[in-house]
Amino acid sequence: MQTTVFEQVKETVYHETLANGLKVFLVPKQGFSKTYAVFTTRYGSIDSHFRTRSGEEINVPDGIAHFLEHKMFEKKDRDVMHEFSKNGASCNAFTSFNRTAYLFSCTDKLDQNLNLLLDYVQEPYFTDASVEKEKGIIGQEITMYDDNPDWKVYMNLLKAMYQKYPINIEIAGTIETISHITKEYLYQCYETFYHPANMLLLVVGSFDPEAVMKLIQKNQGGKDFPPAPQITRIFPEEPPAPAQHRVEANLAVGLPKCMIGIKEKENGLTAEALLKRDLTTKLLLDIVFGSSSSAYEKLYDSGLITENFDFDYSCEQDYAYSIFGGDTPDPDQLVETIKTIIEEWKQKGIDQDDFERAKRKKIGNFMRGLNSVEFIANQFTQFKFNGNDLFSVVPVLESITREDVEKRMREHFQLDQMAVSIVRSAAQQE
Amino acid sequence: MGTQVHEIAFTSSHINGMNVHILQTEKFKTTTIVTMIEQELSVETVTKTALLAMVMKRATARFKETKRLREYLDFLYGAIFDVDVTKKGERQILQIYMEVPNEKYLAQASTLLEEAIQFVGDMLTRPCVENGAFLPKYVTQEKETLRKRIESLIDDKMKYANQRVTEEMCKDEPFALLVQGRAEDLPGITGEDLYRHFQEITTSNPINLFVVGDVDEQQVKKAIETHIPLQRNAVKELKATSPVKNVEQERTVVDRLDVSQAKLNIGCRTNIAYKDDDYPALLMYNGILGGFPHSKLFVNVREKASLAYYAVSRLESHKGIMMIMSGIEAKKYDQAVEIIKAQMDLMRQGKITEEELSQTRATLTNQFRELLDSARMMIEYTYNGVVSGRQRPLNELLQAFETVTIDEIKRVADKVQIDMIYLLRDKKGEA
Repeated sequence: MQTTVFEQVKETVYHETLANGLKVFLVPKQGFSKTYAVFTTRYGSIDSHFRTRSGEEINVPDGIAHFLEHKMFEKKDRDVMHEFSKNGASCNAFTSFNRTAYLFSCTDKLDQNLNLLLDYVQEPYFTDASVEKEKGIIGQEITMYDDNPDWKVYMNLLKAMYQKYPINIEIAGTIETISHITKEYLYQCYETFYHPANMLLLVVGSFDPEAVMKLIQKNQGGKDFPPAPQITRIFPEEPPAPAQHRVEANLAVGLPKCMIGIKEKENGLTAEALLKRDLTTKLLLDIVFGSSSSAYEKLYDSGLITENFDFDYSCEQDYAYSIFGGDTPDPDQLVETIKTIIEEWKQKGIDQDDFERAKRKKIGNFMRGLNSVEFIANQFTQFKFNGNDLFSVVPVLESITREDVEKRMREHFQLDQMAVSIVRSAAQQE
Repeated sequence: MGTQVHEIAFTSSHINGMNVHILQTEKFKTTTIVTMIEQELSVETVTKTALLAMVMKRATARFKETKRLREYLDFLYGAIFDVDVTKKGERQILQIYMEVPNEKYLAQASTLLEEAIQFVGDMLTRPCVENGAFLPKYVTQEKETLRKRIESLIDDKMKYANQRVTEEMCKDEPFALLVQGRAEDLPGITGEDLYRHFQEITTSNPINLFVVGDVDEQQVKKAIETHIPLQRNAVKELKATSPVKNVEQERTVVDRLDVSQAKLNIGCRTNIAYKDDDYPALLMYNGILGGFPHSKLFVNVREKASLAYYAVSRLESHKGIMMIMSGIEAKKYDQAVEIIKAQMDLMRQGKITEEELSQTRATLTNQFRELLDSARMMIEYTYNGVVSGRQRPLNELLQAFETVTIDEIKRVADKVQIDMIYLLRDKKGEA
């Protein structure tokens, strides 16, 4: 077992790659009551076109990664959720564009819960009847998202930005696409993506790292796995330009919702370069649109935005985009004003004071995140999959200069890369 | 593994007319400071208080421009700051939330904690006021923001359904009020009204201030004494929330909106509140019925009948209301209601398995132990004790889960009555 100490934030990470390829990371947190464990596979909704273990190229129905996540909880002779309840643990799982995570938190019986987590995720059991039954439940989950205007405006923006890359597809699929899911498809996906070598186990909280590592080694040592498959994911070539510049939809809302996205033209960064781009762009957005910016003041005072105005940057090896927006009485006016603001910033450049303030704020916010076992658990794996360390955020942030942000602004703020998504009530239609 | 805390133990004292509660712990890398001003939830003041919260956070005497105020917060290493209103039974709480990084983790910021307390003092004692009124500029803008916030309730269909059923079922009780107030009150409120209201509640209403972090107790007390010099009168006695309501007849309400999924909400009166001896048994009742993935509602509505993605029950502990919530297809309404009622019948008959009992004990215990890892949750837990008038040591509650019997849960079940069945559904289908 190896140890990495992060001095500034006073955190220590214990880690090891097991013989079967599983990467294990342990982050003990002094004085905390609960422990949180996350078992994640690098497999999400975008991985729908790939080669199976036998080399066959297949396309699987949209929404299958999420469906598979649901079905992992059902076993022949027991119900996983009930087992966790018996141990007093609270369990959950989620599927995103590029990963599926299974997790629990507990304040007692960590050993039993960890074994349970490892065992249920490594023991698929799918039947025709249970697959059919799940379609009703997931159907209601999909309908719930269909009624959620914040989700709708976001998904529509991704569809507008991306012509081919599969982040333009709903994570849960649609009622139609999931109707094609069979247990055979589920097994094919499972065998391709759930090998330990494609997975990462993270435990954060109150425990002794030596003992926990031993328990994990023992659990994994007692199981046989075939050699790790070579995973070949097949992605379409994504053209740089957005698919559409504007999309609209109707749902029952109080005020129209408007989200603006800027799609990154150049991708392919990994590890620290990717992290640096991510943090630099987030600083940029905070300087330009943060609640202490002149743009925010102007937009808020003119009534064009409300307190829920927000912005974010998402950055992966294959795709990256910034989004900003919220509720507005006048989406078109908001879009025009934001375009003007961006042009003005490009004219005048980034101010040193604004830059320093944004950096301080980001460091403070990161520290706050470290109070939360959940925050660490959810962020850590994503960082690792991209070749980074969550606890290196502060030094990387500190290395960023005003000039970096300035340069990033000119690269990223390109109005022809912009797309707009609007959701309003039928009655608010122009 | 360091010292593990097993109890939520604030040290309380009285400073400048406020109740101050401090919890020293090395667990967190930030310091959290929360001030709660408590008042009765009433038609007369609900909108005023909600608007006051929004106007207060725009400016202080020291930072008259919002931009300057927010720049200062950024400068305090991105201090988290908010003023908001929440509902606890028939009380409306104005809450000032502040969180700053602990100086120990920063290279150059030795007075962060004192600056944060001073900032809270600015809010409470040095507001931005001219001629006895909050500035018209901010009042006008925040009225607009609050109006938008009230109108946007409809965006989140789960919250909307919840508010609608509460409004209908508690029609003649203050609890029906939305904590953000009523849009129709907004035009009549002036900057003078708001300032009078501010003075009234900061001089006469109960104020509790909580500090959690790796702090020196004496230093914190001294900073509060210096920077928050409130002039206080005798503290007002507030009317207690009554959880008791005998339901004569179960009622049904259907709303129609442009939605795909129908939201079924069943509002129940438990007739038990936080301070009552039956409260731990009520938590167990709710847990077995609908609090967890092993609960009767989840198993029967979702897993067995495949009717829904979620089917849960939630408690409002001060008013004693239990809300059952599920998202279903509108045409499955009858079936869903029948299954839910059958589960409640089982509870009344005491048909609870040993496994359900032990799973619920274990998961509830876990849920409450997890509070210890969040400053915010520990404050919330302790404040529930303040508002209800009964402090419940965490260990006492955990102990009660261990000893509660099926008979006690049955007794709780006998008190629970369905008051209203509410359905929010699409505009197309037949009634």
